[in-house]
Order: sequence, then C-alpha cells, then structure tokens
Amino acid sequence: MAAGAVRADMLERLSLRIRVALFFAFLACGSVAAVAGGTALALRRLGPAADPAAGAALMQAGLVAGFVILGLVAWVWVLFDQNIARAIDAIAAGMRARTHAEIDAKLDQAPGRYLGDLAPAAAAVTAHLAETRTALAEAVQRETTRLSAEKSRLETLLADVPVGVLLCTGDHQIVFYNGQAVDLLGAGAAPGLARNVFDYLREGPVRQAYARLAGANDSDAVADLMCATRAGARLLAGRMRVLARRDPGIAPGYVLTLRDISGDIAAHASREALLGEVFERVRRPAASLQAMLGLLAEEEAGAALPPKLALMLLEDARTLTAAITELGARYDAGRTDWRPLAQTRSADLMDSLRARLEATGADVTIDAPELLLRCDGFELVALLAGLIERLAAAGHARAFRVVLEEEDGPGARIDIEWHGPALGIGVLEGWLAEPLDPEAGELTGRQVLSDHGTEVWPDLGTEPARLSMPVREARRAVRRVAPIARAVVYDFELLSKARNDRVADSRLADLTYVVFDTETTGLTPSVDEIVQIAAVRLVNGRRVEGEVLDLLVDPGRPIPPGSTEVHGITDAMVIGAPGIADAGRRFHRFAEGAVLIAHNAPFDMEFLRRHETAIGARFDHPVLDTVLLSAVIFGQQDSHTLDALAARLGVVIPEAARHTALGDTVATAEVFLRLVPMLRARGLEGLSIRRCRIAAADAARAGAGDLRAGAGRGAPPRPAAEGPELTATHPPRARQPALPHRGARSPAAPVPAPWARPRRPCRPPGRWRRWRGCDPVPADWRAARRPALLTAGAGRCRRAATETSGDRRCCGPSYPFSARSFPG
Amino acid sequence: MSDRDPTSAKTATAAKRILVIEDEDNIAVALDYLISREGFQQERMSTGAGAVERIRDTRPDLVLLDVMLPERSGYEICQSVRMQPDLAGVRILMMTARGSAMERRKGLAMGADGFISKPFDLNELRAEVHRLLKSGPAVADDGRGGGAGGHA
Repeated sequence: MAAGAVRADMLERLSLRIRVALFFAFLACGSVAAVAGGTALALRRLGPAADPAAGAALMQAGLVAGFVILGLVAWVWVLFDQNIARAIDAIAAGMRARTHAEIDAKLDQAPGRYLGDLAPAAAAVTAHLAETRTALAEAVQRETTRLSAEKSRLETLLADVPVGVLLCTGDHQIVFYNGQAVDLLGAGAAPGLARNVFDYLREGPVRQAYARLAGANDSDAVADLMCATRAGARLLAGRMRVLARRDPGIAPGYVLTLRDISGDIAAHASREALLGEVFERVRRPAASLQAMLGLLAEEEAGAALPPKLALMLLEDARTLTAAITELGARYDAGRTDWRPLAQTRSADLMDSLRARLEATGADVTIDAPELLLRCDGFELVALLAGLIERLAAAGHARAFRVVLEEEDGPGARIDIEWHGPALGIGVLEGWLAEPLDPEAGELTGRQVLSDHGTEVWPDLGTEPARLSMPVREARRAVRRVAPIARAVVYDFELLSKARNDRVADSRLADLTYVVFDTETTGLTPSVDEIVQIAAVRLVNGRRVEGEVLDLLVDPGRPIPPGSTEVHGITDAMVIGAPGIADAGRRFHRFAEGAVLIAHNAPFDMEFLRRHETAIGARFDHPVLDTVLLSAVIFGQQDSHTLDALAARLGVVIPEAARHTALGDTVATAEVFLRLVPMLRARGLEGLSIRRCRIAAADAARAGAGDLRAGAGRGAPPRPAAEGPELTATHPPRARQPALPHRGARSPAAPVPAPWARPRRPCRPPGRWRRWRGCDPVPADWRAARRPALLTAGAGRCRRAATETSGDRRCCGPSYPFSARSFPG
Repeated sequence: MSDRDPTSAKTATAAKRILVIEDEDNIAVALDYLISREGFQQERMSTGAGAVERIRDTRPDLVLLDVMLPERSGYEICQSVRMQPDLAGVRILMMTARGSAMERRKGLAMGADGFISKPFDLNELRAEVHRLLKSGPAVADDGRGGGAGGHA
C-alpha cells in the first residue's frame, strides 16, 4: 500500500506531458509485446515440421506489425502531445499567469482547439477573474482615495485645533501630537513619538487623572487637570479622556488636550497684586487722615488749625493722591493685558469690515497699511460697522472712508471720515451705550472701548468730518507671524503594542533609535571640535518626519579650509551658533531613551564624550554602528562606506545633501532601516546590551550569526553568550570616574582620553584603502580577545593610524572625511 | 503754596471770571475757596443742563469743567462751545476723576485747553488756571498725538 502511494505521488509530480509520454510508451511496449507473444505462439503451433518459409513469413509479419504499431503509437503520441498535453499545459500556464501574476490579457484559445470547450471555458474564467480583479482594484483604489482624503482632512482638522492634542499609550508614551502641542511643550525640546509624556509634563496631575479615569472604566468620562511643563516655563490646563480598552493585556491609552494658561495666571496675578497694593497704599494715609480730622472735629469751633497738623494732613492727602494717581495709571496701562487680545492683521480686520458693511449696502472705501493690531477683531469690526451704520442711518453721509494710520509711539489710529455734518459727542455717547448689533449680543461700544483701553471721539471742525479711535498697540506687519507647524505626527500602531521597557528584551524593529552624524574641524577627537550635528528619530521601524535636530555648532576655534571644503561650513556660518555645551545638551535631550546609531559611530561618540562635563550629561546610550552591521550582512570583503552601503541598498543620497550632517544622517537612517530585515533574516532579532565585552570578531568576520560587541572599555573578557542577538556597544565607563550628578564633575578630573588605551597597529595601507574606513573587526581581535569595543575599536584605530603613521590616508575614515577629500 | 506776591496776583486777575461746572459740592467748595483767594470772580453750576447757554450769556474767561455731569457730559459741553466761533475766547479746563491718557487725548481733541485729573494738587490747579488765563489765545494739543493747534 505504502509503495503504491509513493508511486502515485511520484507520478503526480511528473508533468502532464511526461505522464502522457509514459502512457504511450507503455501502450507501445504492450502492443509490441502482444505482437511478439502472438508471433511466438504461432511459431510454436506450426511445430518443427513446418515449412521454414512459413516460419520466416510469420516472423516478418510479426516484425512489420510491431513496427507499424510502434509507428502508429508514436504518431498518436506526437499528435496527443502537441494538441492535448501541450495545449493543456499552455492553458494551465495561461490561467496561472492570469491568476497569480495578475495579467489581464485575454487567454489565447488557439492551443486548445482540440480540447473541446476547455479553452473557451478557461478563457471565460480568466476573463471573469480579470474583470472581478479590475473591479476590486478600482473599488480598493476608490476606497483608498476616499480614506486618504479623509485622513488628510482629519489631519488638517487636528492640526488646526487651537489646543495642543496628545494621544498617549497607557504607559504614557506619545503616539500622536499636533503642531500646537509642539508649540506648548517645545520650550525645552520638541515632543517626539514614542517618548514619555513625562519628559515634557510634570507627572503628578497626569498620573492622578489617568488613575481616576482608568478606574472609572467609562470611556465618556473626562478629567480636567492643571499641570506645568517640566521646565516649569508654562502652566497648562488640560482635559483627559481615556480610550476604550481594546486589548485586556494592554492599559488603555488616553487623549490629552492642553491649553496654555500661563498668560491667564500671570494676568490674574498682576490684577491681584495691583488690588493688594491699592489697599496697602490707601489704607495708611486714609487712617491717618481720619484720625487727624476726627481730632480736629473735637476741637472747639473757631480754633486755629495747628500748622504742624495742617502739614501732616496735607502730606497724607498728597500721599493718597499720588498713590491713587499712580495705581490708576497702572490699572489703565495693564487693563488690556489682563484680557488676551490677539495680534490681528489690519488687512484681515478691514476685509471683515468691508464684508460686514457690504451686506448692509454701505459705501465704504478703506485705506489701511499692513499693520498688526493687538485687538479683538470681532469686537472692533462690530464697533466700526455699528458706528458707520448709525452714521448712515442718521443721514450724516452715504459714503465713508476708513483710514488706518500709524502714530508716533506704539499705537495706531482708526478714523472714519465722511463728507457731511459732524457728529455730536452726546449722540456718539448714546450710540456707544447701546448694544452694537443683535449678533454681538449685549456687547456695547463702550464695552469694546473699555476692552481695548481706548476712546472714540469726533474731531473738531475737520473737513471731512471725522471720528477718531486710537488702537494702543500696533506694529508694522513685515511678514506673517510664523505659522504653527500644521503637521500632525502619529503612529497609532504604538497604541496596540505592549511596551518593553528593557531595551535588551526588545526586538530590533520595536526599538526607538536616534541616528546622528557630526561634521568636525578635523579628524582628531582630542583637539578637533564639532561644527555641525544632525539627528533623526526612528520609531516603530520608520523615520519620523519632522523629528529632526540640525544644529550648527560654534567650535570656538577657526575651521580649517580643508574641512570647510568637505562639509561646506565656514567660520561665518557658525557665528552666533550655540557652543558644544548647549548643542550637546540639546542633542542629549533629543536622544534621551533611544539607541544611538551612526556610521562609524566611535568617531562621533569620542567628540561628544570629550565634552560630557561641559554638557552636563552622559552619553550612556546603547550605540550601534552601521559599519558593523554592514560587516555582519555583507562580510568583510565589501566596502562599508556610507556611499557604498547606500548604493548597495538602493538608498539615494542627493548630491546636495552629501557631506551635510543631516543628509548623511538621513542616508544612514535609511540604510539602517533596510538592514534591519536583513539582520532579522539572519536570525538577529534583538539587541542585547550588557556591560561586558564579548568578542564579536568571529560573527562579524563570518558575516553572519551573532554579532557581539563589547560594552565596557577595559571590562573583563567573557565568552560569547548564547542565542542570536545583536549586542550594542554600551558606553565605556570602567576606567572613568563616576559623575556624581550633572555638571558636578570638576574640570580638573577630565575623562581619560580614549587613546590612553594600548594602541593597536593598523592594517597595511592597501588593505585599508580597499576597506576605505576603519576595519571594525580587526584580524587580531579574534586571537587576542582583548578588552575593546567594536565601535570604539574603529575610532581607536583611526586615532592610532593618524598618530602613529601620520598618514591619514592609511587609516583615514571614509566618513565624513574620506581619504580623497580630506587633505592630509 | 504760591511764592508769588498775592497782592500783585489779585491786581492782575481782578477782572477774570471763572465758571465752575462741578456736581460734587466738596470739590466745588474747595475750588470756590481757591479761586476767591486768587482774586478771581467765581460762578458755579452743578449740572450740565444749560451750561452752554450760561457760557454764551456770561462769557467767562475760564470754565473749570467736570467731565461726568448730570444731564450733559463735560465733553458735550466742550464740543458745543468749540463749535461756536464767538466763544473761542473762552478757555476750558477739564477735570475728571478718570485721568487716563486716552481720556486726556479725547478731552483735548474735544477742544479743551487743559486737562487735570482728580484728585488734584492745589498748586497744580493754581498753576494751570494762571497759565490758561495769561496765555492769551488758547493753544492746545489737538489730541491727535503730539501736534498742537489753536482754537482761536
């Protein structure tokens, strides 16, 4: 049974044509055997006494019959093969192509002309399939377009919401933010996807509100909260709503809308302070006056006022008057600050006025320069329109001119002019006391004037007649106010991912990375300085557009012309740029909690680590080097320069972006994103970070398997760990004094220079040139298993080469200063 | 306290007449005392109604005009007076308890020759009165942001 099944299975695997050929072969063999058998039987029946000629004839007949049968079978087989087997194969292949390769051409029926209805039936099936597929594709396309339009509209809507909106996971990771949120939280560092919201907000109020809402288990419930930004620069009023729980294992996310109330609080505090001062400064002279006047009242009538008492009375009265006058002036000056008034473009204001008056049929010409007025546009338009409408209704004129004019000082003046009788101030005061229009509710002109701290009056004896109204604050609108970034940034997939706080336990694709690059004044980390630093963030396997750091850095020393030739950054460009302490801090904040990636990372890391004291922070992030990753994937024989790697992986670096920190950073990021699936295909799923050193040479040299890099300079060697994972370098600390806290380390105790370690000889120049960059896994590592970092090794090698041989071309880094481009 | 010789001041201003339009009695009494002591003739009204007519009839040299008056505001009275060319010689000193810069501009634009905030210092008021009565034709800011114009 089993043998039969195996045969059947083998037969099924053969192609149709072979099976048909075998069938005919069996048929031919059978027929020939039958003829041979029949001939042999006939000869036996004839017996030995038979005529030999008869026997020969019989044999001849048998042979002829055999050949004829063979010929016939072969002929039928050929016909069958051509018209049936091949035709069936052709139709099957056509159907397969139309099914799997999604070819829409009509099926060729010609090969199947002897197959009866099979070919037309197959053609009908494939045609129907094509139609269905086209319809489906069109439906998908329509739906995709619709969804894309909806997505775009929603993004626009969310970008335009006038409050900051954050969407966070249950463990407080940001998965969505809009431009306003960037504006609100961006004082220190702009928010980033997958970053902890508590990097920006003080946690207490948010945690409490979340706990309250999560406990209530009601998706309609909201909690109002008030929280400060981490830097304490802003006070925000927020509202939280917890999303419906989708996965029982994952804490539900929440939406947080935020509004800046620092201004409100400051205005409130200022009013409170003024009020308090009024009481304070009025109480004493008032009490004193009352006491002295009370004393006077008790004196006998006609008694002379003692001169000393009179002076005291006068002094108190003057103090009181001065206090009231000064406090009154401060009240007037501060009144408009207590109410938030927006900067409104005069063009927008006048457009609204024109539109409003056109509806009423008034003839108005407007003459207004481009100014930014601090006002409530709606109220001001209502007041101006109300006045013009009343002037027209009272018969003062039918045509009006509205003129906006700058004044000396910080303000401007709006005039309404007309040719006709002047307006009495009494009538004007009456109008100002009335509600302006039904749309404005109970709003009166007097209220508008009070809100803006101004007045309106008819000018005396002018021709044309005129109403004047000053606006307290106005300035030239040179250009539009910088718009708030409209983009919304989000990745809702993060909502449904359980977060693993341990980097070591996370999959490569799930980690957050900051890819960065620096441009420098030269190649020697001990003396050269950074002139530009750029970084991008990779979250959930994609680059987050808009989360970019790109800083010029003042190196505090001239940039050599040779370096400028490479990166194009001149001394003039870095004037006014932050120094390395400030830039490094900003970079550190940007990279907080992420795995750092750079192409030839040790070079850049050495520059940063040298300034850790000034920066006041440690770069103790796990670090990955794309040179090493490239070595794992492509082996040692290939070039691992960024250009070569990008070309190999199909990453295009625009020429203009090459050798700019940001351009190279983006290219490195794209390269890394393409390397991740290749690493995964090699079984490298995770990233193990251990404060240990593990020799990685074998893996890297073999171009496969484990890649383990050491993690501590001078740490004791240990054998390779088990399991496929990628080990990132961890900052070396073993020989460095610990930093007690940020910035507390004395400059007198500098970080030991990396090149204080034993130097390792470089490879011969020819080898290095081919490598065009430092070999991340030098040959002697495997044998020596010396404590060293993979990435640090590369940097050290560079240093060793430049120091020992003095020939940069020997071991010159390919990036950013290639052997060709950096003058030795 | 003025350091001028009161006798000579009285002589020089003997013929000057001042109309005080003020609804607050306390202030009116103080003003009455001050004006009399300075040797001016003083009249008083406590409401805005009929003020323009009174000014037309009596032609005072100076009007001390409160802004907030019953029935008719000081601004209105000031504007009416300034609309009549034959009353151009009448000086007007406006007084208000709300002495914001905007109100000062408004008052001067309405044709006032001077503007003083309450509570005021007597010396300040005295100086302002003398300035206006000696300055000849009225010269005042037109209230349009720094320029000066006359109301002759």
